[in-house]
Amino acid sequence: MADREVDQQLVERVQRGDKHAFDLLVLKYQRKLGRLISRFVRDPAEAEDVTQDAFIKAYRALPGFRGESAFYTWLYRIGINTAKNHLLANKRRPPTSTPFDSEESESFEEASLLREVNTPENELMSKQVVDVVQTSLQQLPEDLRSALTLREIEGLSYEEIATVMNCPIGTVRSRIFRAREAVAENLRPLLETSKGNRW
Amino acid sequence: MNKEISALMDSELFEDDAENLLDRIGRGTNAHKDWEVYHLIGDVLRQPDHIHCDLSAKVRERMRDEPTVLAPRSHAVKRKVRTVALSAAASLAAVGVVAWMSQQIGSETLPQMAMQKNALRPASIQIQPKSNDYLMAHQEFSPSTDMNGGASYIRMVTYSSEGK
Repeated sequence: MADREVDQQLVERVQRGDKHAFDLLVLKYQRKLGRLISRFVRDPAEAEDVTQDAFIKAYRALPGFRGESAFYTWLYRIGINTAKNHLLANKRRPPTSTPFDSEESESFEEASLLREVNTPENELMSKQVVDVVQTSLQQLPEDLRSALTLREIEGLSYEEIATVMNCPIGTVRSRIFRAREAVAENLRPLLETSKGNRW
Repeated sequence: MNKEISALMDSELFEDDAENLLDRIGRGTNAHKDWEVYHLIGDVLRQPDHIHCDLSAKVRERMRDEPTVLAPRSHAVKRKVRTVALSAAASLAAVGVVAWMSQQIGSETLPQMAMQKNALRPASIQIQPKSNDYLMAHQEFSPSTDMNGGASYIRMVTYSSEGK
């Protein structure tokens, strides 16, 4: 089942009254949408509020979503509109010097524009999370690390990874899972202790 | 289940399995946490410079005040219903055609079979005594008998009143 179909499944569940399914979509897209909105709204607290607003607007608009476009494209469009409306409401001009649309937003790589201005507390937490993930990745056996990297960073399918690593697809599936689980094991205590910081 | 969540995130799960898994994620808090952590790991690996705090708790809180959305049935659902209805109609039509054809064939073949039976009535056949052995030996292969295989145990007897 393709990623878009998984999203569509979740959307249809929300449309049938399942709020929990929307929560899974929020968990999946919160950082991507937050990153997109922070390109328009530089203040981190404002960007956070606008991101929340965008999700709530998306939830309210979901009955009208018919799946003609991918859910994330539709969500990003709502995110951009919400951010622009926020800036207009505060009599600030939305950035127009770097035109891009929601379709391009995922591959947008201009680091200076992507950089967020975090509060010191969040910044520290972000750093810790990144450190734990990267250290855990480095500690993984070579085959697990390669499988996870090829999947998450290079975006290869299991079939392509199996070809690259010269192993069966089942082995790829298992390696990626074991790699994720090993990293998650190290990450969970940090996330648990920082629940108060909304992590 | 974690292994399935991992595969689902990578779009490597079949549709039925994915639906079942989403049901289970909806019911279990641990599965929900795994979904969250695995997505966080992916986001960190792809964009380590742009990890911000978790917004989901705040969104969840705000969602409590939101009325539950109930959409009219989507195209996908309508399409599914239409497919099922068409399949059922096609099945019924097929059953109808088969039933009608079997009736037609039945009504056509019955008189023929009756004629055949009349034509092969034992009384109308002059059986030569010499052929008895042959018939006895081969009766079990006769397609006309209902007792294939058992015929070898039946002894054929003829009677003629004219000889007496």
